[in-house]
Amino acid sequence: MHEMGIAQNILDIVVATAQKEGATRITRINLLAGELRAIEPLQLTFCFAIVAKDTIADGAFLNIEQIPVRGHCKDCNADFPIEDYIYVCPECSSSKIEITGGNELKLQDIEVE
Amino acid sequence: MKINVMQDVLQANDKIAEDNRQIFRKNRNFVINLMSSPGAGKTLLLEKTAEMLAGKLRLGVIVGDVETTRDADRISKFGIPTIQLTTGNACHLDANMVAHALPHLKLDEIDILVVENVGNLVCPAEFIIGEDHKVMILSVTEGDEKPLKYPLMFHESKLMLINKIDLIQYTNFNLDEAKANARKINPDIDIIEISCINGTGLDRWISWLTDHYQLKQKGLSNA
Repeated sequence: MHEMGIAQNILDIVVATAQKEGATRITRINLLAGELRAIEPLQLTFCFAIVAKDTIADGAFLNIEQIPVRGHCKDCNADFPIEDYIYVCPECSSSKIEITGGNELKLQDIEVE
Repeated sequence: MKINVMQDVLQANDKIAEDNRQIFRKNRNFVINLMSSPGAGKTLLLEKTAEMLAGKLRLGVIVGDVETTRDADRISKFGIPTIQLTTGNACHLDANMVAHALPHLKLDEIDILVVENVGNLVCPAEFIIGEDHKVMILSVTEGDEKPLKYPLMFHESKLMLINKIDLIQYTNFNLDEAKANARKINPDIDIIEISCINGTGLDRWISWLTDHYQLKQKGLSNA
């Protein structure tokens, strides 16, 4: 249930951002969530609805875009998607892999009124 | 109206973790974030570690639990400075909770600080606290498929201790399978098999700890 702590962090950032721009209501939040972060979207939207109650983000739609895990092979320079968390290069079978995507947990933008 | 945010969600946590890290650097503390599921043997491992390090390196412990001070009571019996954090309903420790514990410890009298996280295989891996390394325990009674089910913690850990190895004959835990699964997730992970009951592998754990403590000291001196 790390979703509750994450929901609270999202709320703090979006409310501060909206208020700085003089907005009175947040209607949509676009979040990028890498698969490595193990976010359960249903649980996060549920937790967010709870923490956002009676704030300017009450009722805002939390849109979660899941980012797949990607790797770069340090031996043969191949770039590839990593499936089932198996960190082996599909081209040369090397295990010297650098993670190039899937670790994000980033607020992209919000829509406000 | 659309407003660009482009902010890391956990930046507030990561900033406090960096402040903690500076405090640890100043006091030359080597810091371990110890994680596992409930009942894997974190507290008993710390009791054994306290015994084995006595007179060599000074240990300090921060214990996170949802409720009770039982773990802190067990560890402080060994004369180890111990702070208990009861997290209420939080399932992990974050950098802010650890920051609040630090003023209660004499950090300049501690060489190795172990933060015993809340028992949970998911959430603690998400929040950095300013540690040098994450260390996790997997016990043989939990099953060898756990790395594939809970990849984040195995991915983030520098060392995996396979505990309760004395019980392996009573389980269907496959040691080779467990190691292979962990290395699929994290090819560089160190693995040590231990038993806190009969002492198997504990000397290797203590060597790992002291070697990495010394590496940090060397790094600080060269900085």
